[in-house]
Formats: sequence, structure tokens, C-alpha cells
Amino acid sequence: MDEPRDDIDTWLEERVTPLQPHPGTFEQIRRRARRRKAGRAALTAAGAVVVLAGAITVPRLILNGPAGGTPVAGSGTSTPARPSSTGPGKLQSTGTPGQATSSPTPTPTAPPPVPPNFAASSVTFVSTSTGWVIGQAGTPGHCGPPNANICTSVAATDDGGSTWHGVPAPVTGAPNGASGVSQIRSLDGASAWAFGPQLYATHDGGQTWAHIPTHGTRVTDLETVSGTVYAVWAKCASTGTDFAAGCTTFSLYSSPAGHDNWSPVPGATGLQASGGAPGTAQLVLTGTTGYLMTPGGQLSSGPVTSPARWRTVTTAAGVPVSLPCAPGAAETGGHPLQAMLASTGPGLVLLCADQASGNRQAKTLYYSADGGRSWSPAGSAPARSIAMSLSGTPTGPVLVATSGGIVFSTNAPGASGALTWRTARGATAAGGYSYVGMTTSDQGVAVPANVSADAVWFTYDGGAHWGESPVR
Amino acid sequence: MGTFRASDRLAAEELFHACYPRLAGWVRRLVDDDDTAHEIASEAFTRLLARWSSLDNPQSYLYMIATNLIRDHWRKVGRERRALRAVSATIPAESVHHPSQDVDVRALIQGLPDRLRQPFLLHYYAGFPIRDVAEMLGRPEGTVKADLYHARARLRAVLGEAHG
Repeated sequence: MDEPRDDIDTWLEERVTPLQPHPGTFEQIRRRARRRKAGRAALTAAGAVVVLAGAITVPRLILNGPAGGTPVAGSGTSTPARPSSTGPGKLQSTGTPGQATSSPTPTPTAPPPVPPNFAASSVTFVSTSTGWVIGQAGTPGHCGPPNANICTSVAATDDGGSTWHGVPAPVTGAPNGASGVSQIRSLDGASAWAFGPQLYATHDGGQTWAHIPTHGTRVTDLETVSGTVYAVWAKCASTGTDFAAGCTTFSLYSSPAGHDNWSPVPGATGLQASGGAPGTAQLVLTGTTGYLMTPGGQLSSGPVTSPARWRTVTTAAGVPVSLPCAPGAAETGGHPLQAMLASTGPGLVLLCADQASGNRQAKTLYYSADGGRSWSPAGSAPARSIAMSLSGTPTGPVLVATSGGIVFSTNAPGASGALTWRTARGATAAGGYSYVGMTTSDQGVAVPANVSADAVWFTYDGGAHWGESPVR
Repeated sequence: MGTFRASDRLAAEELFHACYPRLAGWVRRLVDDDDTAHEIASEAFTRLLARWSSLDNPQSYLYMIATNLIRDHWRKVGRERRALRAVSATIPAESVHHPSQDVDVRALIQGLPDRLRQPFLLHYYAGFPIRDVAEMLGRPEGTVKADLYHARARLRAVLGEAHG
């Protein structure tokens, strides 16, 4: 039915001019929404509460950001991916909150405490409020049960790092050759994986951990998205704490996140550096596509929403893409040091780190807006300090954790040309940071390089300001 | 307190980036300034996120909330204007001028009863199909079609009077 055109039609057909949100709007909204949910929960519970027992927790995390506010929630996504193996021989272990143990613990009325002297080695956040950290805590000879010498510990937070509580940990030690774990990733707070070099999985929030056999390989990277977990399994020969230093052959494995049913990803196995030299591989997952930076400096990709074959990324002419740099050998946590890949905004960003000269290192960045088929220079990060970790954000700016702190770009790579950099305030951990990851464009988390530091750091303003959250 | 799963968080952030600018722009055509538009859009998203896990159609819910918030805003502004006129006889009746050319039609939409205004904004302005609007408002599709007809008829009649 055609109605005669009138002022109403004219008004209706006038285009809506989009109004872009102010920076930080989404996180403000999330905080407000969470407060309201908490308020509703409190009101709901109030009718049934007779006696309130327990401690009043005062958030310890205070950031002096531009807004001058007290952050409500922390965030940060840690990024390693995980391999898996299925099959017989899985060892089931359960733990006492905080440290490796052997029996399930009844649900306590108060959260179990974090073991003392918690030295964090990896952190993972599944939301701006819920995260897990893994490390070593206590004093060897006085840890456990079940083993007084196994001090691997896990702590969790439900309030963005304001408070932490103990969670049962896998019964294995710190990395030593082919044994131990040092990294952690979680999908949803129920399923999580501890890895590097061994692989353990939990699907009940850490109450029980299953050892996943990896058939003589070591898990050097692990990521999870959309109900699937991916991991890099590597053949390695190194001993000691640098479990990924002597790895030569890399294969990508995947498993449904809710089950320990690992299998090789077709098209992404048997990857080697040129001449079989030691190298590493890095996995980056987006919501739709996975990318694997191979030890030879190429890129493989595949869909993460279906079990399709991964393929080498090629140029428009069909030639395999050679990245501007290759990952080189791994650092202690298994991450590459010479080439670091991250997803940022709609694209990928690659940091190429030159050989360090003293405390200086040239760090050149490249950006790809077409899934790695072509790369454009995106400028250089500050030369001072040694690059340790690279993170992108949903809106595009990138962050680099270094031996001297954290630097962040004030713009996104792409058509704007070279990235411009600023030094983050408050990222003052001695020795810098081994890892930085952003859960959202505003909120992120960093792990200090000094393994004896019993804290992780949070930002709530895109990386400009950071605050310490003691894991205690 | 419930917490977002990672997939929920990502979905919420994706929805925010995809929908906020248009929602805020949509609101902007119905209010007087950018700040108010941002306030309403932010509040709509806050309410959305606070109920995220129980919603089947977040985008519809978002616009539904925004529509109600705009109505509340109009009422508040109307009260303020009436109060202002009551204390200052020198201020003309419509002293708070709207800068855009939308004002005539907007003022007329503002004057529609809730029953007609909600489906009008959701269908004609936000672009939701009649079926979705019916679901959002809990009315039969036929009722929504009738409401839309009456809304247009009423607006056209008032416009005719104004221009006639």
C-alpha cells in the first residue's frame, strides 16, 4: 500500500547520523551493569540471610587514572593456546585449594586462602571480573599435600583482582625439561588448561585436573575460543626451566573445549624452522579465524568455528607469505622473542624485535588488514628495553610489555600511518613484564617478569595507567 | 553475582561496537543534545547488560529500553518547561528551541500516546519488522498494524492542521 509522502516520511527517511561513544563508555556500562546485578543479588539474598559471617573485603587495587576513580573490575586475557590429547591413560588429580592436592574439597563457606609467596607465571581472564593465575607458592618441602615438594598453585578472582582465593592446582611442579606447568588459560571459569610443558585440563572450575598425555611432546602455546581449544605441541630437547628453548618440530592440535579429545589439526602439523633449527610457533585466535605463526616465519590459518583444514596464508599470487620476521627461539614461558603476533581491531599486528644491544632493541611493527596476506609497516615502538609480549585490543591500539615496563600506542595501525607510543604509568614492576593481554579495549592484565613478585598488574583505561594487584 | 562468560563478554562488546553509534544517533534525533543521547544510549546498554543472560533478542530489547527512556526524558523536560513557565511569564511557551528541522515532527511524535508512539518509533524509525514489534510490545501483529495506522493518521491530521 503506497501512502502519500508527507512530512512524516521525510522525517523518517532522514538518515540517522551515528554518534560514536566516548572512550571508555563500554567499560563504564559494564561496571554499572555489574553493580546493578550485584545489587539485585544482594536484595534477593537479604531476605534469607540471618547471620552474616565472614570478612569484609576492601579492594586493594587502586589506580590513579585520569578519571581518578577506583576501578571495579580487572581484566585481561592471557593468550596461549593449548594442545590436547585424548585417550587412555589420563591421570585424574584433584587438589586442595591453592596448591596441588589429591582430593576434592567440600564447598567452603569462605573462599580458601591463597598460599603465601605466590609467584605468578601466567594469568587468564574470562571476563573483566573472573580470572585465574598460576604460579609457584609456598616453600618447597612444605607444600602440598599430596607432595610437599610440589608447589604449583592456582588462585582465582571473581572481582577483577581486588581479592583472590585459592583453587586446586594440577599435581605437577614448575617447568623442568618435559615436566611441570607454567601457563594457564580458561574458557569460561569451568574449563581451563594448565600447560607448558605438560598439559592438564579441568572442567569443573579447578576442583579436579586431568593430565593430558601429549606423547612425548611439550605444549608451548594454547588458546581457546568458541568452544574449541587449540594448542601447539612441540618436539623439544631442552632441559631445565626453559622448556621450550630447544623445540624443533611443531604441530597444532585441537579439542572440543568441554572434552579432552585432542587431535591434530589438518594442514598444521610437522612445522619446522629452516634447517631444523630451534624455534617456536605462536597461536592467535579471533572469533572466526585462527592464525599460527610457524617457526619458519610463515603463517597458517583456518576457521575456528569448524574443523576444516588449516592452510598456509598466501599472497594474491598464491605464493606463501613470508612474514617480515620469524619467531626465533622461545623465552622462558614458551613465547617467541623475535616475532610477536597479535590480533588487533579488524587486523593482525606483528612486532619484529631485533637483537638487543644492552637495554635497547629495535622493535618494528607491521599491520595486516587482510588476514596476513599482505603486511604494511606500522612504525617502531620505543627502542629502550627488551620486548617481551605484544597485545592488541578490539579497537586497534596495541601494547608491548618490555623488560622496562609497558608501552602503548595512542592510535590503531592502519591507514593512520605509524603508531605513536606512550609509556604506561604505574607499570613499575622491577624487571618489567613477561606478558600483557587485553580483555577489552580498556581493561587488561600484565604478569611481571620477576617470578618472585606476588602480584599481577591491571589497567582499566586502555593501558595508560596500571595498578598492582597482590595475589594474596 | 553472575559473571559474563568470555563468549558473552565478546558478544556484548561486539554488539556495543556494532549498535551503540546508531542507537545513540537514533536517540539524538529525538532529544535536544548529544549528551542526552549518550546518556540514554548508555543507560539502555547498562540495562541490557544487567539482564544479558535472560534475553533472546538483545537488539530489540535495547531499542525498547531506549524508547521508554526517551519517553521518560520527554516527560521530565516537559515538567521542567512547565515549571519554568510558571515562574517566568516572560519566557515564551516553547523557549527551549530544538536546533534541528526534526522538531515539528518530533514534537508531534512526542505528543502521541504511549500506545501509538512505541510501535511508531520501533517500526518506522528503528526499522523493526511488525512481527518483532508485536513481540517486543506483547501485542498481536494486527493490533500493531492498527496502532501504526492510527499513529500515522493522527500525525498526518495534526500536520495538516499546522500547515493548512
